[in-house]
Amino acid sequence: MTVSQANVSMAEAASGRIRRHLLVDRAYHWVMAACVLTLLATAFLPIIGYKFEWLGLHWTTGVVLSALVLIHIVRAVIWQDFWAMMIDGADLRNGWRHLARVLGRNGAAPGLPGKYNSLQKLYHAGIAVLILLIVVTGLLMLLKIDTPLWRRNPYVLADYQWGWIYVVHGFAAMALITMIMIHIYFALRPDEWRLTRSMFRGWITRREFEEHHDKQRWAADEC
Amino acid sequence: MQLFRYSTSIYGGSDVLIGASWDLLKWFVVAGAVVIILHAAVKAVTSR
Repeated sequence: MTVSQANVSMAEAASGRIRRHLLVDRAYHWVMAACVLTLLATAFLPIIGYKFEWLGLHWTTGVVLSALVLIHIVRAVIWQDFWAMMIDGADLRNGWRHLARVLGRNGAAPGLPGKYNSLQKLYHAGIAVLILLIVVTGLLMLLKIDTPLWRRNPYVLADYQWGWIYVVHGFAAMALITMIMIHIYFALRPDEWRLTRSMFRGWITRREFEEHHDKQRWAADEC
Repeated sequence: MQLFRYSTSIYGGSDVLIGASWDLLKWFVVAGAVVIILHAAVKAVTSR
């Protein structure tokens, strides 16, 4: 699908819009994106040579990110369809069939996904692990700095334990760069533009829903 | 290429682990670029 195809006419859009993301979820996504980009910039710009007072902005943004992650977990478990983001048997089967096709083998065609396809679920699992590692280690690292709210107390852990906390924080942060690059690449691909648009406007068209999703696996609402 | 950063112990013992090596940063960027290029290439070939 091209960008021009994705930019559906007003008439078509008005005739059938499928709600994909509520306003609160879109707001969460963009505030979290701003936090992650701020954290990566304040972490890595000084390392590659752009020196500035980074620590204050880094830890305050980290606290905001931690709160956002906590809110997201509670919201996903209680109010959202938690299982819509979990990899299931149909995802594994479809993934295998996709791979077989890419490798030029014949076989059954992969089925349509529900709200999220298997690669999106895999990506979410990966980024969830990285963000949780960064949040947990980052919150522990707050014990090593003075803030208006608490005094530093680095003696709760031994030097080698702090070393491993910094190792995990650093590796997860660097891996996050890889993941963000991949995320932005897919968001900019014309054949995925409908999903990017839905993260701004909240909806996809009914035609897009029927072309790309299995209505048995995603009980979507019109909006 | 080192995986970790160390500092010298003030007590004169062995070096103390202080974090991941930032020399690895470029390789994580390269990994992202490789995934993007591979995916774009596979998509270009399979969509013909």
